[in-house]
Amino acid sequence: MTGNVWVALPLACLAGGAVGLYLFSRLITARNEFLALLTALVFAAGLWTVVPLLGMTRLALKTGEELPVWGHLGPGGAFLRADPGALVLASVALGLGMLVALYSGRYVALDHRRETYYPLLLLLVAGLVGVVLAADLFSLYMYCELMSAAVYVLVAFRRRTDTAVEAGFKYLVMGSLGTIIILMGISFVFRETGQLVLPQVTGSPESLDLGRSMNTVTGPWTRVGLACLLVGLSVKSGIVPVHTWLPDAHGRAPGTVSAMLSGVVVQSAFYAMLKVTLGLGFPARMLGTWLIVLSLLSMTLGNGLALVQTNGKRLLAYSTIAHTGYVMLGVGIGLRHGSSAAIQAGFFLILAHAAMKGLAFLCKGACHFYCGATEIVDLRGMAARLPMVTGAFAVALLGLAGVPPLAGFTAKWFILTRALRPRDLLVSIGVGAFLLNGLVSLGYYLPLVRTLSSQKADLKGDASPAATLIPTSRWMTFPLLVLAGMVVTMGVYPGPWLTWVADAGAYLLSVGR
Amino acid sequence: MELDTLWMVSILGAPLLAAVLLSLLRGRVVRAAGWIAGVAAALSLAGVLALLPSLQRGDVPTLSFEWIPAASIRLALHVDWLTLPFLLTEAAVTLVAVVYAWGYHHTDQRTPFFYALLMLFAVGMSGTTLADDMFLFYIFWELMLVASCALIAVWGEGERAGAVALKYFIFTHLGSLMVLVGLIVFYDATGSASFSLLREGVTLAPAIVGIVITLFIVGFSVKMAIFPLHLWLPDAHAVAPMPVTIMLAAAMLSMGTYGILRFPLSLFSRVQMAPFGVPMMVMGIVSEIYGALMALAEQDIKRVIAYSSVSQMGYILFGLGTLSYDGVAGATLHVVFHAIVKALLFMSVGLVIRATGRRRIAELGGLRGAMPVAALCTGVGALAIAGTPPFCIFNSEWMIFSGGFHTGQFGLAALTLFGSLLTVAYALWFVGRIFFGSRPAGLTVNRSPWTMVAPTVLLAALSLIGGLLPGPIFEWVSNGLSLILGGAW
Repeated sequence: MTGNVWVALPLACLAGGAVGLYLFSRLITARNEFLALLTALVFAAGLWTVVPLLGMTRLALKTGEELPVWGHLGPGGAFLRADPGALVLASVALGLGMLVALYSGRYVALDHRRETYYPLLLLLVAGLVGVVLAADLFSLYMYCELMSAAVYVLVAFRRRTDTAVEAGFKYLVMGSLGTIIILMGISFVFRETGQLVLPQVTGSPESLDLGRSMNTVTGPWTRVGLACLLVGLSVKSGIVPVHTWLPDAHGRAPGTVSAMLSGVVVQSAFYAMLKVTLGLGFPARMLGTWLIVLSLLSMTLGNGLALVQTNGKRLLAYSTIAHTGYVMLGVGIGLRHGSSAAIQAGFFLILAHAAMKGLAFLCKGACHFYCGATEIVDLRGMAARLPMVTGAFAVALLGLAGVPPLAGFTAKWFILTRALRPRDLLVSIGVGAFLLNGLVSLGYYLPLVRTLSSQKADLKGDASPAATLIPTSRWMTFPLLVLAGMVVTMGVYPGPWLTWVADAGAYLLSVGR
Repeated sequence: MELDTLWMVSILGAPLLAAVLLSLLRGRVVRAAGWIAGVAAALSLAGVLALLPSLQRGDVPTLSFEWIPAASIRLALHVDWLTLPFLLTEAAVTLVAVVYAWGYHHTDQRTPFFYALLMLFAVGMSGTTLADDMFLFYIFWELMLVASCALIAVWGEGERAGAVALKYFIFTHLGSLMVLVGLIVFYDATGSASFSLLREGVTLAPAIVGIVITLFIVGFSVKMAIFPLHLWLPDAHAVAPMPVTIMLAAAMLSMGTYGILRFPLSLFSRVQMAPFGVPMMVMGIVSEIYGALMALAEQDIKRVIAYSSVSQMGYILFGLGTLSYDGVAGATLHVVFHAIVKALLFMSVGLVIRATGRRRIAELGGLRGAMPVAALCTGVGALAIAGTPPFCIFNSEWMIFSGGFHTGQFGLAALTLFGSLLTVAYALWFVGRIFFGSRPAGLTVNRSPWTMVAPTVLLAALSLIGGLLPGPIFEWVSNGLSLILGGAW
């Protein structure tokens, strides 16, 4: 175990926190507020350990040194590497996790088995951070399983509701299928190359002297292995046509878990896919082409199916598929044409989407918690009962719909401006589909906003209680306000965020050279 | 900070501050909400007027900050002669609409939000004209849409308010997306979002010039409600509460004109624009005649005036399409005068609706004796919109028709001229059916509050003054023309 300890600290924080929290809840007290606060503190500590790492990574990229690594180094080793894209996703996961934990301070107050909920949340993020940081396929597989196992349980957390267990089970089956394919791919790769370490990229992208171990080797087994890894990780990231688990899982999980799933879990699996396939020598141009083609499917199908949903969370889940498509379009164009600016725009959308979708799911969760609203029709008249939640919900939905000046619009603006630079047929088709999809998506976001603000409290016609103001717990309002603030800030002042994700694009391109 | 900059900030800042204040104080300012909005709107108008002297000195007041350096986007505002007529119209209409709302709007707990959204709507419009950066332009452009859509959805009259708001949003957003693509092509060509840089000259590939011009013209035509892109307008105008309708019809429609003047006409050369002149004229004529016919056929008095907007926007597009000095100047002038007259007509209709509680033209009649002021004002408005001298629209229509004859397209020009006969028909028929004839049984008339009558009378007076003394406005408009089509006329 050598290397830069900072790299391991976030993981250590989260894993240690999970164990400690479980013991705390068993031995001392299981009061929900305590647990929520402690979990949030653990996430905050994790976030704090990432901050110096960001500086180190930036410095290493600038001076052309090795990126910070930690673990059993060497060709046969298993270790973590802090690359810029991974740090972006890890920070997003930690930040969103912190807010979700605080929100849970009220949200799961009425649930049983809270003593497992919070440790699982921590383990989920620990797995996620491991997946994005992993520098070899073995660690990647391990952390991927850790993340997935935590998610399976969390999706089915409210096991007494009729569909949660079914959704969890479906996710388990699909997820395991994905994992098995990944494992198979890894074994194929290992058979041919005899090692699992992803290549190190050192030096600035311009003067690249790659100490790469295997991506010169592109034998038949590596190719098959690559294909397996691509498919397996696509399952995890909910890319059409292997997305079928996503609406069920996101639609049935508790709101907090859906927020994490849609906000960052899917995107980090996507990042892992990029890292692995490019690292193993999949040509960047071809990967970009594939991504653009699949993005067309993802966004069209996601938006099309979102139009016909009657359940609020399933609608948001399909919107996640569509947004994954948008991200893929940005990244795909970037890889196909070697434009780091387009990848940067894709990453900015990941940030914006995490804030917007997290906010949307948490708001939906609050409506469910206070008013028992699950279907879209149940959301009628929410504005009168939960004005603050509804306001935040509207911000999230309008942001997702790409209405200026919110984050979603700015992200789409960047993708469009950067996507138009290279001119070829596929990109033009992609941009056209992107614009049309933006318009189609209005067809479900706006009616939802309208439903929220409508006057009639109840459709069912029974003597519905007059719309009364329901006081919202501060545990819920605080995270909602923070996220809504972020959606607005990212929209009107995207500069710092854009700079923050700038390195990720350049790094991915240098890996995929 | 210079005084000019301060005034320019106040144009946007006063309504914005009012909106923030109103939504923060909520229940505590239910009674004062209208006054707060009124003061903000007045400050905004004062800001516009205060910038006039420096414009006349030849300055271009600007304000510019770094915003998103990574994408070379700046927070830049400016006022030039092209902006001024629109900015003035927008600020004045907002003030008048707010004053009118004092009497029209029933005060309740949500009133502060109503005025806050009204203010945001105003910010969106003035921001659109002030913006010197495409990104900022588009943000304000959509803010205008979001705010007005929320006003229609929440305060709309009738069962279908939500559906109408949705239709309005999706329709106009489609137009916005076309504009967005055009903007992004320019952004891509220059690498900067600044208008000032754009004006210094961009060379686009000849293949895409036509596409971009088409996108801009069609996109802005949606906002102008040109046939067949007008479908959102009659519903939105009929459902919206009257102050919002006034702002929609008198100020927001003109934003489409501003867009056409600011983008295709400013950024492309006369040679590049020439192929689009006749299609624009034809679209204008079709819209003019269609709008007038629909106004004749319509039963709801608010929708009559709404269709009259479709018709009037047709004149403006025709004027722009002539690409001649007279036509473009006339079209810009028409924006200002149409705003006055359209606001006047909607206000008069609002007086009738508020006093009688009826909207169907068949159920009205003989109100001349009971509502003399409203009758006079509607009469002035109808004569004005029919282009009768000495009211203001006569001047702008004169210019537009003269522009039409300059192009050599005598057939089209004659067609517009005779098409305006239909305007006379619906305008006079409208006044006749409401104020003359016999009074239907059971039609009672309530008193109108002075805050509704006073702005109506003021606008009636303005439409006469504008007709008799068009000099200053004409001068401002013609100053702006030097910025269009290379400035050589």
